[in-house]
Amino acid sequence: MKRNEIAILSGKGGTGKTSLIASMIPYFDKLVLADCDVDAPDLHILLDEYNRTEQDFVGLQRPVVDYDRCVACKACVNHCKFQAIDESIKLILGKCEGCGVCQAVCPQGAVSMQDNVVGKIFVSQTEQGALVHARLIPGEETSGKLVAEVRKKAKTIAEAEDAEWILIDGSPGIACNVISSITGVSKVILVIEPTLSGLHDLKKVQTLVRGFHIPILLVLNKADLSTEGKAAIEEYCQEQGLEIALEIPFEPKMVEAIVNRKMPSVYHPAFFDQIGFKEFIEKVQA
Amino acid sequence: MKIAVCAKTTGMDAQADDRFGRAEYYVIFDTETRSSETFENPAKGEPAGAGGSAVRFISQQGAQAVLAPELGPKAVDALRAFELAAFRYTEKKTVRETIADFLDGKLAKADVSTTKSKHGLRRA
Amino acid sequence: MKIAVLSGKGGTGKTTVATNLFATLEKGMLIDTDVEEPNSHLFLKPVILERIPVKKEYPVVDEELCTLCGKCGDFCRYNAILPAKKKVLVYPELCHDCGGCQLLCPTDAIRYYPRTIGNIYTGKTLSGRSVAYGDLLVGEVSGVPIIEQLREISGDEKIVLIDSPPGTACSTVAAVEGVDYAIIVAEPTPFGVSDMKLVVEMLGALQIPMGVVINKAGLGDREIYDYCQSERLEILAEIPFSKAYAKQYAQGGLLSETFPPFRETMELILDKVSKAGGRELL
Repeated sequence: MKRNEIAILSGKGGTGKTSLIASMIPYFDKLVLADCDVDAPDLHILLDEYNRTEQDFVGLQRPVVDYDRCVACKACVNHCKFQAIDESIKLILGKCEGCGVCQAVCPQGAVSMQDNVVGKIFVSQTEQGALVHARLIPGEETSGKLVAEVRKKAKTIAEAEDAEWILIDGSPGIACNVISSITGVSKVILVIEPTLSGLHDLKKVQTLVRGFHIPILLVLNKADLSTEGKAAIEEYCQEQGLEIALEIPFEPKMVEAIVNRKMPSVYHPAFFDQIGFKEFIEKVQA
Repeated sequence: MKIAVCAKTTGMDAQADDRFGRAEYYVIFDTETRSSETFENPAKGEPAGAGGSAVRFISQQGAQAVLAPELGPKAVDALRAFELAAFRYTEKKTVRETIADFLDGKLAKADVSTTKSKHGLRRA
Repeated sequence: MKIAVLSGKGGTGKTTVATNLFATLEKGMLIDTDVEEPNSHLFLKPVILERIPVKKEYPVVDEELCTLCGKCGDFCRYNAILPAKKKVLVYPELCHDCGGCQLLCPTDAIRYYPRTIGNIYTGKTLSGRSVAYGDLLVGEVSGVPIIEQLREISGDEKIVLIDSPPGTACSTVAAVEGVDYAIIVAEPTPFGVSDMKLVVEMLGALQIPMGVVINKAGLGDREIYDYCQSERLEILAEIPFSKAYAKQYAQGGLLSETFPPFRETMELILDKVSKAGGRELL
């Protein structure tokens, strides 16, 4: 069976990605959820999880210094291009990129690269389908690898459960963790708001997604926030041949649903009928 | 000669994998001795550069040809640089069946990339 | 005094608070380190005076000197350099610029060449204030080198406001390390609280003093207040959710210039931060 992976991104943060995915869930049978916003995973907050298992995630290796062998010659300090080893031969965690040069240049063999846990991956069941999410230890390295691992696990589960859909909650931005969220997906949904910042950020994330030749559906959230903002987005979309597949006016009940930890489309179904959510889902599933 | 085939699990009766650079395993089949060996793909967890790294690994195992389902541009470049012949399979079969198809001349040569690389972005 | 404004969760109001604090201050510099999606310049509208390309290096192998020994490929942890049968393949975009391949090459066949990964724009607002922001090129994997350069550029300034990236990973760490104070902008929703906890953890590990601004207050529940109390986090101010504010923001307006209560809130925050940092800001 063909498996469809759909990533929901925003470029700019806080536009309503997670709320949207949560609202989409009830419309999909046979679903696996992959929360790839590993810096700040939120999807699990809205879902009742059970049978959660967790696994350490090992990222790039980190140097460990054997101080009995170290003679403080500072070859490592001098060769580290990231200034990740300080003058007292201690590692500055946030800067290390795991390249291994320190190990290679140490004349005493005092530095060894070792596995380093940078986060945790969680797999759980929910009523709506399996959920895979992860948490990066704050401050740790670039999360592209962790995102790739979350996606891989989600795929494995989808194959085992014969699930047709994988919905991916992406992170804001355009760098490695976002890139890892979209490789190989069949569609990207971009959630944007009608603000100057929203338009600005849309341009970059849209360029990124287009570079991968993935079809895009746009969702304009808080659509009635600014008529000028909306007009600017519509104009840009027309220029670029992008489709605004759904408009969601600002609705306090959406926040209310989140505060009550409920999926918005279940909490306030009338609103979703009003905005044509079913038709939007049909476009997504096409 | 030795042929590498992308596989989801181990052995000749494993399902052929639908990814190349991130395949779970490579089954290396020797056409002369008719024996095979399965290796876990060290590049499968890599967030980037898996294609090239996988080719290097396969080359180091002595393979001269690769049977793959799809190939990104990095993999194609790497295969050329490592002088490995590549052939594409399109059907969901076992490793054994895929090799049989290859030996029967049923698989097309794969010297052009079939997928877009995630780093295939051209900037002005 | 170097003050970072960050949030963990995106869209909570980092840029709104950072740019309005800056406008209220009347002195000092602002740097926008959200280099993947910089927004501050949309509100501050600086006249750009200089564009500084930020470069990373990548290896180029001299085929005459190369013996295809394979040491570079064995060493590289990023799959950026692959010695093949007749030549060495290099993938510049995967290179982390660590210098290892050159160090290990026995025939000195590797040289490094630069390529641009993004730009820094520096300029002045109409009232003569200094602003700098970074912009990572689409397709690049990490903005950290740009962020580090932005911090360097502002190194000598007495007062620097740092608009930080969302999240809590390496970009954010690069943006906030060594600052004197961190203002966490949070929203009173379950997502807001959850993400804020991660930021608090990160700042704690970096030993940076912090305070909280609760934005869009009224659009959520009490959980965040309870959390701040239990963690003894100072709530510097609350900014109520207001459709009028949201509309102005949508159009790129500086709220402190249009709404006196908003400006007062900014002054209140600056006053508290001065006291916490022991420095005069206003």
